[in-house]
Amino acid sequence: MMFKPSSPLFSGLLWKIPWRISAPQKARQRKRLRAVDRVVDTVSAALARNGQMAKPVTRWFNEMPREEEMLPKDKYTIFDKKEKKYRKGIHKLPKWTRVSQRVNPPGF
Amino acid sequence: MSYFRITLVRSAIGLPRRTTDVLKALGLKKRMATVFHAVSPSVAGQIMKVKELVEVQEVDKRLTKQEVHLERKPDPGYYIEKTSGVEYHENRRA
Repeated sequence: MMFKPSSPLFSGLLWKIPWRISAPQKARQRKRLRAVDRVVDTVSAALARNGQMAKPVTRWFNEMPREEEMLPKDKYTIFDKKEKKYRKGIHKLPKWTRVSQRVNPPGF
Repeated sequence: MSYFRITLVRSAIGLPRRTTDVLKALGLKKRMATVFHAVSPSVAGQIMKVKELVEVQEVDKRLTKQEVHLERKPDPGYYIEKTSGVEYHENRRA
């Protein structure tokens, strides 16, 4: 095996998150957003058929945009007050593949 | 009476304790586990807590664990031959 010396391999704990998110990562992010939309749609349709309602479901529909309604800016970046233009890649958010982060402060 | 068919597709490792607790309350102990719950607002609320981790379908009937397993079981690729007498009696009974 060829050993390629690089900073993460040479020193101890050093791993960096690239500043930008790749195209396949974006595609998977869209897929996950749609999967969450699908779950909420299924739940709300099932409740409606039984003539019931649930507060978290109605709240989700009132507050959260769907995948196709979201701007690319909100899909792939997140507000951060410490960043130069108040935005950083969503992949910097801890557990970003398993949390719903759809809305950002208005105006940013 | 319809049911939610809930399958855990992503694990809750590293997520807040409450997320794990909700999965436990739903009866989802490991990834790809499937449970059935009657459609109700309380179950809907539980699903909403873990919506990023599960897949949900609305079904009419709850299946047993064996039935869920058989859905995933592949074709064995062979069949056992029977004598004509056995086959005749089986077809007669059916």
